[in-house]
Amino acid sequence: MEHPILFISLILETIGLPVPHGPTGHGLLEQLCAPYMTYTWLVMVFLFVVAKLTISNLEMVPGGGQNFWEIVIEGMDNFFVENMGRKMTDQFFAMLATFGLFIAVANLIGLIPGFMSPTASLNTTLAFTLIVWVTHHFIGFREHGLKYYKNFMGPVWWLVPLMLPIEIISNFARILSLSIRLFGNIMAKEYLLAILFMLAGAFFAPLPIMVLGVLVSLVQAMVFVLLSVIYFSLAQEDAH
Amino acid sequence: MSELRKELVYVIGHYGQVGITFAACIFVGIGAGILLDQKVFAGKTAPWFTFIGLAFGLAAGFKSLYDIVKKAERRGGKKPD
Repeated sequence: MEHPILFISLILETIGLPVPHGPTGHGLLEQLCAPYMTYTWLVMVFLFVVAKLTISNLEMVPGGGQNFWEIVIEGMDNFFVENMGRKMTDQFFAMLATFGLFIAVANLIGLIPGFMSPTASLNTTLAFTLIVWVTHHFIGFREHGLKYYKNFMGPVWWLVPLMLPIEIISNFARILSLSIRLFGNIMAKEYLLAILFMLAGAFFAPLPIMVLGVLVSLVQAMVFVLLSVIYFSLAQEDAH
Repeated sequence: MSELRKELVYVIGHYGQVGITFAACIFVGIGAGILLDQKVFAGKTAPWFTFIGLAFGLAAGFKSLYDIVKKAERRGGKKPD
């Protein structure tokens, strides 16, 4: 794998659970103990615990932790409202904000030695992407009913045989591009860090890449959320 | 500063996807063509659906490029300043 030492996998191995040596295991238990799964749970636990610790009792005059969350949530809220309107934001804020926070933390956690980014596995990113893709079609059908199919028919009726396959292909391409972009960026970061660490770790060669890694992690999380928002607002808009 | 950063995020999100979307469209098109050729028609129509799929994939790539440009144009027109 990318990292020479993954401490959760080591702990699981000493307990006696089977940790797969390939990307995924064969049995159910082995698949559950795959590194990207265990680190996904770690990120989830981290987000729960941090949120519980900082904002379990809200105060009128916010302290440090509450201040941080207020800025983050308010920033995201403004961003969503600007791009898809108040009503849609109220409906989908929880989902999109969870994606943003989870992906940002999951990307950044890979920069610490001993941790691995869950998003460096295509399984994780493909799962996110499928959720977004299904949801944007759900929004389209809910807003327009069966007339949503007109989105795929092109501007005039005699172009339908040409436009229908094109629209369907470019719609399915969204799954591919959204999942592979996140996966590719994060996996490239992980491999680059590991290789530089092995080659010239004593001379701090991975340091510049780590700085870039922080940037890439945050930008990719933002891009994923931005594109989800754009897809949602496109599905909600009127067809032609 | 904040306005600039917002614009930067928008531009990265919007134009950063041009390349990968184009490639993904072609892959999906050619994949669908190969699937039709090999699985549905069991190799009887061997190269043809692959070529048709490739052509539609390329067309879909250009269509999504056009969509991205049009979206950006509409957003630019909406803003008065």
